[in-house]
Amino acid sequence: MSVMAPLIEVTLRGLLGRRRTILLALLAGLPVLMALLIKVSGGRPDSDRILDTLVVRTVMPLVALIIGTAAIGSEIDDGTAVYLIIKPIPRSRIALSKILVAAGLTAAMIIPAVLLTALLLGSRNDTATTVVGFTVACLVGGSAYAAAFVTLSLFTSRALLLGLAYVLIWEGVLSGLLEGTKFLSIRQATLGVAAAFGVHVPGDPLAPGVSVAVLIVVLAVAFALGSWRLARFEIRGGD
Amino acid sequence: MTQPPSPSAAPAVTAAPNVTPALEVDHVSRWYGNVVAVNDISFGLGAGVTGLLGPNGAGKSTLLHLMAGLLAPSAGRVLVEGADAWRRPELYRHLGLVPERESVHSFLTGREFARLNARLQGVADPDGAAARAIATVDLIDAADRPIGTYSKGMRQRAKLAGALVHEPRVLLLDEPFNGMDPRQRLHMMTLLRSMAAEGRTILFSSHILEEVERLADSVLVVYAGRLAAAGDFRSIRRLMTDRPHTFTVRSSDDRRLAAALMADASVFGTELVTGHVAIRTADYDAFTRALPTVARDAAVTLFEVRPTDDSLESVFSYLVRR
Amino acid sequence: MTASGPGGNIYDLGYQPYTGPRLGRRSAVRALFSQSIRACYGIGRGGRAKIAPFTLAAIAVLPAILAVGIAAIAARAGPAAGAIGDASPIRYETYHGLVGILIMLFCAAQAPELFGRDQRYGVLPLYFSRVLTRPDYALAKVLGLMVSLFAVAVAPYLILFIGRVFVAPDPATGLAHEIAVVPKFVLQAVLVAGLLGGLASLIAAWTPRRAYATATIIAVFIIPPIIIAIIAAQASQDLARAIVLFSPGDVLDGTNAAIFGSVPDSVVVAQDALPGWAYLAAAGVGIAGSVGLTVRRYLRIAT
Repeated sequence: MSVMAPLIEVTLRGLLGRRRTILLALLAGLPVLMALLIKVSGGRPDSDRILDTLVVRTVMPLVALIIGTAAIGSEIDDGTAVYLIIKPIPRSRIALSKILVAAGLTAAMIIPAVLLTALLLGSRNDTATTVVGFTVACLVGGSAYAAAFVTLSLFTSRALLLGLAYVLIWEGVLSGLLEGTKFLSIRQATLGVAAAFGVHVPGDPLAPGVSVAVLIVVLAVAFALGSWRLARFEIRGGD
Repeated sequence: MTQPPSPSAAPAVTAAPNVTPALEVDHVSRWYGNVVAVNDISFGLGAGVTGLLGPNGAGKSTLLHLMAGLLAPSAGRVLVEGADAWRRPELYRHLGLVPERESVHSFLTGREFARLNARLQGVADPDGAAARAIATVDLIDAADRPIGTYSKGMRQRAKLAGALVHEPRVLLLDEPFNGMDPRQRLHMMTLLRSMAAEGRTILFSSHILEEVERLADSVLVVYAGRLAAAGDFRSIRRLMTDRPHTFTVRSSDDRRLAAALMADASVFGTELVTGHVAIRTADYDAFTRALPTVARDAAVTLFEVRPTDDSLESVFSYLVRR
Repeated sequence: MTASGPGGNIYDLGYQPYTGPRLGRRSAVRALFSQSIRACYGIGRGGRAKIAPFTLAAIAVLPAILAVGIAAIAARAGPAAGAIGDASPIRYETYHGLVGILIMLFCAAQAPELFGRDQRYGVLPLYFSRVLTRPDYALAKVLGLMVSLFAVAVAPYLILFIGRVFVAPDPATGLAHEIAVVPKFVLQAVLVAGLLGGLASLIAAWTPRRAYATATIIAVFIIPPIIIAIIAAQASQDLARAIVLFSPGDVLDGTNAAIFGSVPDSVVVAQDALPGWAYLAAAGVGIAGSVGLTVRRYLRIAT
């Protein structure tokens, strides 16, 4: 396992370049900014709604997308991935390290935003429920998104666009229209987990058991598929 | 007639007989749809430096990546130390690759990059190994600057340091002298030669004849995905019997010598040029034996005898024009 | 021209400079414009480049085809066809809500290719050392993107229109019935292509790296409406009203409502009671502003 440390280190350092970090900070800071704005203007705060529409449905998938597709995607793109591949490391370790970093960084960006927003605004129902519900939901949901996007970037160089299409078209529109496909949506599973803690989620949330199962399956499949793909990953020469 | 490579055996290049070659390529082909990048290539490599020579687009990089386990052969097998190269990460314990692409993690310093490679290799003392590798490639001065600030030659050396940290038995280099100035190139050539003397198998690719001529013990010439020739280039030249050898001879009486030589069966052309005689012969061995005798019988003193086209360049241009 | 001397020779290989007529600036601009359109659809660049634009365009058009198909089948059942057509959720005025996302994705996918590629590969000096001026370059590209977007934006409406004309019992009366709608949807498509295309161009011109450009473009389109909805509900309506014109998604929703006289999708826009012309004006300003700033970017870019 001692090979995980350098893998994690180099992935983190590669991800936290100046431009990317600023973009991520802006995105993750948006909900907090909104919370401050509402607090200052003395309106009718409802952190549940912000956490639902702005964080879970928008900012969290976007942040996970940017981080997940860059974790190994940027290295494949600029040609530095080869230095990780030509090492006597099981491919599953490489996949695991990338997924861990992507999931961890996503959580590190989103969870504080969730906490601050919830604590600043309180909740119409019970603040503790909101805090715990959304924290756990974003932890697992964000990780699922990140893992899925890491593996996606092993299969295509346009993972960012595909991920966007998935989040905006499938999760945004289609799975809403087709009731039976609700479980095929990480968003719905995340909201289902939050609902399991008592958060009031509009619409008809997925059952808690199904939600947790979906997220775990996504994580497991992402890891397995990623390892499988890495073992067969071909790098062409320049000639 | 030049002998075609026999289809049944893998002609060894530098491998000693009865010893498993360190690296063996066995009827390997690789195609992408309709494009054949590598076309039924076979050879074996042992200790020493081998040059992979060919024009751009000949398939050198593809071949190197096949040997490094980064591509799956569409046909045939690549064996490194007796075991398949594809999908076997253990391969990299004893194999190092210096890829052609320039990019290295530009936010890491040279030392950090070497150290990263050492840690990923599982080397016992990563810091020490990194320091040694940095010293070997002569990058100590710049080792603590980010690689993003390096010149092209320094980047090449950083890549090489990364490939040396685990002291691989087999080292593959893809166009390693790209962007190096003559001093750096000489330094790296000396390094590679000393590594080969330790018993390592080194293969480097190039499209520059002088580099290969100077460094390689033997060559593999690839052209359009096929192996055109393998072995010591002078021996290859000998085999090119459908192409005459030319010699340049300076003597005390060129005209007399030329006339006398025309009578010999091994010579089929002489040309008097100001200051010397140019002689064309089909049979290298017979001519070299006949020349002193003919000269002595004609009472001509020889001052200089030089084969004029016994260079890698002439070998190469002959091979790619066939 | 052959020249020879004791040391060397120059040989006349018969090279001749081109002395014929040269197509001027207009041709150059036209060529760049048509090349931009081709680049947006991935034409001339192999199969992979076509996947994103054609898939998105196909999805955009799909509901319209479905609607026409259903109406055609229903027409065989009897003269109630028109009623079914009106009852379906896929109508001119609701189509914007359906395909807005797809046009946004189209922009996010293709604008970075169009603008970022030249910057990343450093070929701008090649363009600027020609008859083409810097504004010409910027405008040709922006217009290319906008026209490509317009085609995707207007196609579904056209299909609905043609479908409805022919499903009607008599094409002539059908035409008379539907013709009034044509300028409406053309205007909406122009505004959509103009505003989204202009903003995407601006962002892509400033962000050569593809991933950042795509992410920023999408963020600018989809995040503001959510923020404004939250502000309207939780902070203050006035604040929301003040900034709603800065959200391209909401502005286009407003123009759609104004043009078709329908109920807007966005709750904020519906509640806001801003007059319809405000949205139209905002769209116009947005288009002009983003195009202008893009031109300014290329006027000042260092090469």
